[in-house]
Amino acid sequence: MKKILQLALGIVTSVGGFLEIGSVTTAAQAGASFGYKLLWAILLGTICLIFLVEMSGRLSAVSKHTIVDATRERFGFPFFSIVMLAMVIVAFLVLVAELGGIGLSLQILTGIGFPWWALPVSLGVWLLMWKGTFSLIENGASLLGLVTISFVVAAVKLHPDWGSTAHGLLPTMPGDQKAKYGFIAVSILGASISPYLMYFYSSGAIEDKWDESYIPMNRIIAGLGMTFGGFLSMAVLIAAALAFQPRGIDIEKFEQAALLMTTALPKWGFFLFAFSMLFACLGAALEISLAIAYFFAQGFGWSWSEDLTPSRDSRFSFVYTLIILLAAIPLLFGVDPIKVTMMSMALTAATLPLAIVPFLFLMNDPIYLGKHRNGWISNTVVTVVIVISFVLAVISIPLQIIGG
Amino acid sequence: MHLKRLLVATLLFALACKSPTPEEELDSIISWIGTAVMAGDAWIRHTTPDAYTRQTLELSHDTLLQLADDLLKQPLPGVDTASLDSVLTRSRGRVAEMARLVQDKNSPAFNNQLDSLRIDEKAVKHMADALSPKQ
Amino acid sequence: MKLVRDVLDKKLTDREDCAMGRVSGLVLHVGEKTQPRITHILIGGPTLWMRVHPSLAALATRLARVWGPKRTGPVRIPWSRVDTVGKNVKLDVIARETGALDWELWIAEHIIERIPGGGKEEEE
Repeated sequence: MKKILQLALGIVTSVGGFLEIGSVTTAAQAGASFGYKLLWAILLGTICLIFLVEMSGRLSAVSKHTIVDATRERFGFPFFSIVMLAMVIVAFLVLVAELGGIGLSLQILTGIGFPWWALPVSLGVWLLMWKGTFSLIENGASLLGLVTISFVVAAVKLHPDWGSTAHGLLPTMPGDQKAKYGFIAVSILGASISPYLMYFYSSGAIEDKWDESYIPMNRIIAGLGMTFGGFLSMAVLIAAALAFQPRGIDIEKFEQAALLMTTALPKWGFFLFAFSMLFACLGAALEISLAIAYFFAQGFGWSWSEDLTPSRDSRFSFVYTLIILLAAIPLLFGVDPIKVTMMSMALTAATLPLAIVPFLFLMNDPIYLGKHRNGWISNTVVTVVIVISFVLAVISIPLQIIGG
Repeated sequence: MHLKRLLVATLLFALACKSPTPEEELDSIISWIGTAVMAGDAWIRHTTPDAYTRQTLELSHDTLLQLADDLLKQPLPGVDTASLDSVLTRSRGRVAEMARLVQDKNSPAFNNQLDSLRIDEKAVKHMADALSPKQ
Repeated sequence: MKLVRDVLDKKLTDREDCAMGRVSGLVLHVGEKTQPRITHILIGGPTLWMRVHPSLAALATRLARVWGPKRTGPVRIPWSRVDTVGKNVKLDVIARETGALDWELWIAEHIIERIPGGGKEEEE
């Protein structure tokens, strides 16, 4: 009974925790600019994420190591330090974007500019980390995030041509704006396949004391949870394609995205968007802060647990306190969170090989996984998607920078 | 030798950093007029807060001003530049007026401006088609 | 036992299963006529950063002189105190007495416990 409840909760929290500013912004931009043509990128990203999340849970359940633990031990500190530097820098940028997302949501609700919200939002996120437990953070924020299901309702109410949407699940090249298309595709992949999700999930498996008996449950949570989450992203893209593309509106600013559901859900659409973004970004900010702190603590062998009082794992607590504070600074100076979002998503895609290649080695290592090592399907799917992401990133990012 | 390489690299980079084309600028203008219309629609139906609507309209106005400045410096074959300038100035004025009317909560006057803005939007789209006929 | 695979970078725990950091380095005694043997485990300090680049080790030493518990060298644990080598390296020591937790305790005392809710008042 306990496992069934945990399973239900796991799926629900995966769905509620899926969307964040990156996935919403990139999907909205994709729909507004290219209609359904980029649905394949969300599909590809989601499939890869399902495999990666399942692998993260399996590694922790079987080896009783988190991904970070195992990476440090297997590859040594010099290599680990390179992975850590890259992952922490990119995760930090994503954290700035998420805190900015909360600020922008509050801006459109209250009229008070997001730079004014930078410090209160950071303080709020920090307080939840300081006083909260792992369960509160994992479950609480994700349950609130279920309001993002409103995107699916909006998409359905706009009566999409399902035949055309199905067509969008296959990659096609656009007639023009190829650089922009490539860049948005890369950003979608970066938004979907976020390494911090893997580090957070594997740490959560250790916090929840998973063992081998949790392997089937892990598969279901990863499979169903991420699939439903992927549907949410697709719903955002479809809604944007129907709400914005006919009007020729390109999404450059959050204020434009806020109109996403005002046609489909006239009475509540605006507020549902604002609260969806608020809770989704809050959940993501908490996860990323924890993921960065886990990286340091697990990498250096410190005490770490969200369930301990802060002085009992002082270095861990100090790290998340410091990074949340630092992440507020760019926002205080009015740096546009949407621009940070797009760049950080693209950088995530570009640095994926650094996170995933060592992870694949671990998942095939009998010392860590024994008989639960990866099969050829997992290895192939993940390798192919990572190569696609990296190649697209290397081509698209310079083109997009040059093209302005 | 190093200086020469640096100069060549800088020149290549400068050539590579091209400005948006007139078609791209016009697409952006259409996007922001469309944003103002959509925000106006939502406000008239009482589905968005006043502060948000006013700020979005002000943002649209400021962005349209910048875009128009950049666009009209470039050659626009097939387009009557004076007419384009006129309709862009007019639509910006309407957007600014709409922002003010939100503050006054004057729905009937706002609705009139919104209707006129829709007409301007169509005119701009027509001129964009003349610049780059769609296949 | 394979030192790099089984010992280096492994997590260290003390008698009470308290986390003590990771094995940053090992000290080997190489005698003229005897087999090399491990004499000490090194934890933290410039040893760790030396493995990446000597300049980072120098930077770590300089920073440690001006901030924190003013420990500039690594913690040295005699190999004789190693209890078991498995998933972690378990040591027959009390972590607090070795100096391995100096940074943890310093940050707790000087930063964390000064913030309300940091934990000291709950423990008192």
